[in-house]
Amino acid sequence: MTADFGIKIEGVSHAYPGTQGLNAAGTLALKQTDLLIRHHEFHALLGPSGCGKSTLLYLIGGFIPVQTGSISTQKGPVTAPGPDRSIVFQNFALFPWKTVLENVMYGLQKKGLPEAECRDIAQAHIKLVQLSGFEQAYPSQLSGGMQQRAAIARTLAVDPDILLMDEPFGALDAQTRRVMQEELRMIWKRRPKTVVFVTHDVHEAVFLADRISIMSARPGRIEHQIDTGLGPERDESTLTDRRFVELGEQIWRLVREQAVLASRGGL
Amino acid sequence: MAAGDMRSVAAVDGRGSLVAVVALCVRYLPVLIMLAVWELVGRSGLVSQQMLPGIGAIAAAFLDLLQSGELVVNAWRSLSRAATGLGLAVLVGMTVGLLMATRPLFRTLFNPLVRILYPMPKSALIPLVMIWFGLGDASKIFLIFLGCLLPVIVSAYNGARGVNPFIVWSATSLGASKEQVLREIILPAALPDILAGCRTALAFSFILMVSSEFVIAKDGLGFLIGSLGDGGNYPAMFAVILTVASTGFVADRLFGSFVSHRLRWKEQA
Amino acid sequence: MSPLSLIRHRDRLLQALVLVGLVSVWELSSRAGWVHPFLLPPPSDVLARLFADMQSGAVFVDLGLTLYRAVTGFVIAAVLAVPLGILMARRRGVQWFFDPLISIGFPMPKIAFVPIFILWFDIYDTSKVIMITFSCFFPIVTATYSGTSHIDKWPLWSARSLGASESELLREIILPLASPAILTGLQIALPVGMITTIVTEMLMGGSGVGGAMIAAGRFADSVGVFAGIIEIAILGMVVIRALDWLRARLLVWHPENRAH
Repeated sequence: MTADFGIKIEGVSHAYPGTQGLNAAGTLALKQTDLLIRHHEFHALLGPSGCGKSTLLYLIGGFIPVQTGSISTQKGPVTAPGPDRSIVFQNFALFPWKTVLENVMYGLQKKGLPEAECRDIAQAHIKLVQLSGFEQAYPSQLSGGMQQRAAIARTLAVDPDILLMDEPFGALDAQTRRVMQEELRMIWKRRPKTVVFVTHDVHEAVFLADRISIMSARPGRIEHQIDTGLGPERDESTLTDRRFVELGEQIWRLVREQAVLASRGGL
Repeated sequence: MAAGDMRSVAAVDGRGSLVAVVALCVRYLPVLIMLAVWELVGRSGLVSQQMLPGIGAIAAAFLDLLQSGELVVNAWRSLSRAATGLGLAVLVGMTVGLLMATRPLFRTLFNPLVRILYPMPKSALIPLVMIWFGLGDASKIFLIFLGCLLPVIVSAYNGARGVNPFIVWSATSLGASKEQVLREIILPAALPDILAGCRTALAFSFILMVSSEFVIAKDGLGFLIGSLGDGGNYPAMFAVILTVASTGFVADRLFGSFVSHRLRWKEQA
Repeated sequence: MSPLSLIRHRDRLLQALVLVGLVSVWELSSRAGWVHPFLLPPPSDVLARLFADMQSGAVFVDLGLTLYRAVTGFVIAAVLAVPLGILMARRRGVQWFFDPLISIGFPMPKIAFVPIFILWFDIYDTSKVIMITFSCFFPIVTATYSGTSHIDKWPLWSARSLGASESELLREIILPLASPAILTGLQIALPVGMITTIVTEMLMGGSGVGGAMIAAGRFADSVGVFAGIIEIAILGMVVIRALDWLRARLLVWHPENRAH
């Protein structure tokens, strides 16, 4: 077993319990999923909605218990959430009654760091995501993009080995999303981490990731794996790169098949 | 909302106090109209002065009650009962509601009781607290406590159950323990609901305070109203009733502004 | 059967057991003399009393009277308050006149006015029903007004562009859209009405569960008091359930009835 894997997923299946009525049997969200995510790799999980990609991410995060199979990181098997695998959600999940600074300091305080150090580290991360000047603002006073920056700062501040991102830019408008993608990639280059990035946006996945796993319609499995091979630098010019355009088309065809299957599969 | 708009405009352009006063008068003019109608009907002789004492007579009676100290003593008795019952209810109700929402054992234990007691009109318990605690303070405080307890429990429970699970997940993934999640995440996130429940409980505390003092009469504002009415001193009775009503109104408004101060993080920029 | 519904059934069973346990402890402790049976009469005695009163018909007379007063006052309040709330949201002048009056009246403890209604209308059903109407009125008008003034403008604009007239707009768009808020107001008002009914009965007499209970309390008949509490608890549960049922019936279209 080499030491340079980030996350190892072996034979993971997951079923949600059904409620009475329509689907009393429960829903199989993931079926026999295997995936090896490399150390410090930017990995995108791509698939139609309802394919179980978020479920897989929540399993890695330890938010829902693994039913069958196993998930492990460098620190051993995943059993519960922890600051080594921090997460950014689509709806930001900031603590609305805390200011930006208090939000970013929260995880640091939980590490038991002295107050002054918490403040310094938090300030540095607020600066990193370009939110300086908004330390004392409440989340409700910020735009969606700014809220997501704050959430990213809060997550990065605890310096996790693994960064989990659950469609983090899904709630943002197209322009903001593009800016945030570029910045995320830049931050990641400066502070390399193993990133698992869930999205249903093909171009977002290609632009950001080193490797992309395409998931099948429910029950989800990893259907294809693709190295983007776009190199470490990503910026405006990447968008017009021939490889970027071709990859986008190729992957779109693969995802489309699954999306059509998913939409025919009923609700 | 016209008056509200005018007030905010006035605040912005600075030469506002006159505009604000005018706006306030326009807004509360209907209240003055109603008072004028009251006074006119009383004077016209359509109904007897007994039935509808004039505003002047009521005001005079109010001052008399204030000077004799009767009003202050009884108001103190009543309000201290209401505050004690309500305070206990908020403390206990919040704890029970949050524990019910987060600990299955508590839910199993308390849910049947809550489901039976919640829909019950709490004034039905007046004869019971009379049997249990006699005619003194304890019976009324216990009644107010029980009546206020259920809205607080239910609002804390619903608030805690409705907390965005992603916020809780964020906190655990940042290293918060189970206890910390309850105290630092679920409690503040449920606070808007809890405070709304407390506001309902505040209204209940006044209703139950007055009702119990009407029925188990020994002292307090309810008792004062009853005894003034029995003695045929209607202007004074009206004065005390209006005092109770305005105290309830003021308490609610004060609590409302406390809530909006406490929840200022919710306000949109 | 899925695991989740199993858990639910187990939970329900446990809760029923908790209830049975509590009642048993109560029965045992008053039979064994741990608490004075005057303070906590054994449940079996209370049930026996309830049965006796049911056979004599006394329960039904009292419950019927209480229910009749509460529902009459409540319905009158709804008939007055719902149109007024809608008018306030739609007509500037109406809003100007009533908004300050209602925003002052809403948080006031209306029960304090009982002696005034006794003075004006004596102690019979008229004054009870008027008092109940008075206390139910404010929650309903407030909820209706706020619900009607906060409805989405998109359905209104759509309906208007599809050719709806002003009165059609009111009946076919505004009323249904505001109905969740109106029903919420009714659901708040009904328990308030029940509380008021009981208190007015205790103060003015004239039978009804409240009157019967206060008589029992005065005669130190604790079994009678407990029987009354059980009757009122059941009555309260039934009327609240009835409104829940009505809400689910009327709001079939609403998303609140889809999520489970």
